[in-house]
Amino acid sequence: MLVQILINGLSVGSVYALIAIGYNLVYGILEQLNFAHGDVYTVGCFVTFSSLMIGWNPLICIALGMATGFAINLGVERFAYRPLRTKGANRIAPTISAVGVAYIMRNVVQLVWGPQTFMFDLGLFQKNSLHVGNTIIGMLQIYIFIIAVSLMLLLNVILKKTKMGQAIIAISQSIPTAALMGVQVNRVIALVYGLGAALGVIGGLLFCSYYEFIFMGIGFMFGTMKAWQATIIGGIGSLKGAVIGAIIMGISETFISAYISTAYKDALVWVIFIIFILIRPKGLFPAQIAEKV
Amino acid sequence: MKSDNKADMKKLALFAFLVLFLAIPQVVHNTYMLKVIINVMLYSIIALSVNLIVGFCGLLDFGRSAFAGLGTYFLAITLTRYGNFPFFLAFFGAGLFSASVGWLLGMLCQKTAFDYLTLITLGVNEIVRVILLNWQSATGGAIGIMGVPSPNLFGFHFDTHRRFFYFAYALLAICYILIRRLTRSHYGRAFEAIRDDAIAASYSAINVPKYKALCFSFASFFTGIAGAAMVSYTNYASPYNFTIDESLIMMQMAILGGLGSLPGCILGAAILIIAPEISRTIYDYRLLVMGILMVILMVFAPNGILGKNGVGERMVDIVRIRRAEK
Repeated sequence: MLVQILINGLSVGSVYALIAIGYNLVYGILEQLNFAHGDVYTVGCFVTFSSLMIGWNPLICIALGMATGFAINLGVERFAYRPLRTKGANRIAPTISAVGVAYIMRNVVQLVWGPQTFMFDLGLFQKNSLHVGNTIIGMLQIYIFIIAVSLMLLLNVILKKTKMGQAIIAISQSIPTAALMGVQVNRVIALVYGLGAALGVIGGLLFCSYYEFIFMGIGFMFGTMKAWQATIIGGIGSLKGAVIGAIIMGISETFISAYISTAYKDALVWVIFIIFILIRPKGLFPAQIAEKV
Repeated sequence: MKSDNKADMKKLALFAFLVLFLAIPQVVHNTYMLKVIINVMLYSIIALSVNLIVGFCGLLDFGRSAFAGLGTYFLAITLTRYGNFPFFLAFFGAGLFSASVGWLLGMLCQKTAFDYLTLITLGVNEIVRVILLNWQSATGGAIGIMGVPSPNLFGFHFDTHRRFFYFAYALLAICYILIRRLTRSHYGRAFEAIRDDAIAASYSAINVPKYKALCFSFASFFTGIAGAAMVSYTNYASPYNFTIDESLIMMQMAILGGLGSLPGCILGAAILIIAPEISRTIYDYRLLVMGILMVILMVFAPNGILGKNGVGERMVDIVRIRRAEK
């Protein structure tokens, strides 16, 4: 029983981790509360869903969804975030503008696909499961975990080893200095946003295949909020932290609903989270950058 | 002298408007319209309280509706469970209860930075919503609490729409004056200093954490009172009114009207309540319109309509330049 709950928590956590990686990429670099993350990738997921309905190859559908997310975020960055960044606005304005983008995306999904819940099946993974003693492990759960961890490692390598990755890290430390070093700041930041949304689409699709449904609300409550929490638990800007934070959240959610109460699950997770922030405000793996005055 | 005259005229016009406003229930017999106006007035109080946090203290609070919920349920529970509990006491208690929770939140988050505080307020909203929804014995769960009595002051019942209009009017006036006094006092100046530069403020002998906590408790007091007034108007407390989406709408009211501007809050509340009412036909596009509005507003006039450097001031500037050219 205990092991079963642990495994379920681990797989819920890895679903959150996939979403959190994309979120953390943007959040860690620009320190901007990206309220629109979830709703942007929801559009991408729905595009994939529609093309699956037509009967295309799942891989093409996934690529299409990711491209949609990428393109949307490029546009959103250009028109909603970049003007504010160049103007040097305070922290409130970009946040509100992101909420506005989230509203637009949610309304678009509602107008095009409607508010109902659809069955979702990617048709890419086997449905069978492994039986180890009394515990059951679905193949999908294993796949999700592997995908989450390998994506994190891949991104880490990209950030550390490639020129583009170094440019991204330079921007996260100081935008003016990066610009002086010949980094094309606007282009790189736009790319980061696009990449974040594309990764979000992968996370969203695996979320949908794990729970076998898709509807317009997957973006905010399950995407943005959980990703944000995971990011803050793990430490802003740390991809490793995002994955571990998300897994901690998944495990605590499943344990609370198994042993304490399902009705109060969300509230208790929030209470744990708030206590965690108060005790360790920089997260598990804080970025090693001095606070600027 | 001329400018003095102008100011006097402005004051006179405002006074006349306020008196004329009092006559509305005598002229307007349409209950629906009265209802909308009362809603605008009650939401204005909440928008004012949001403005206190966002506009004056520079903190982002996504959980205002939780505090309205605390006020609502405090009043509903005290008045329905304890038969002859005086209304005035319950009403005031709702504000104080909400304020003490706000103070607790402010004290807990003394040292937390901007992002964390925003997320914590969201979390508090979720926690309060889940508790209201699931604590069957106290809050009535999903059914809510029915039969909450109307305001009753010194034996006078504000039980019709027209009577309640005056109650809401007086409440808004009192809250507005109190908040105006607050923002022009030592506290208000300290809040503004924190908003503009927290580090500089701390070097000017302003105890930043203490003032942040105070700001939360003052604002929560007014939010709680507005929540209590709302439930005594609708006579029904439902846990579904206190969601994050509701909080976002409350915040938009303050932002649309103008951060740091008190009349702006009333304007913002009026726009965001009346617009959905007259545009029932485009109800499906409501979020789309709102979203585009928010993005455009943030890009071009981040301080709203009546705020500093907001749409209003820019219009005045444009007119002035045109006149000078002539």
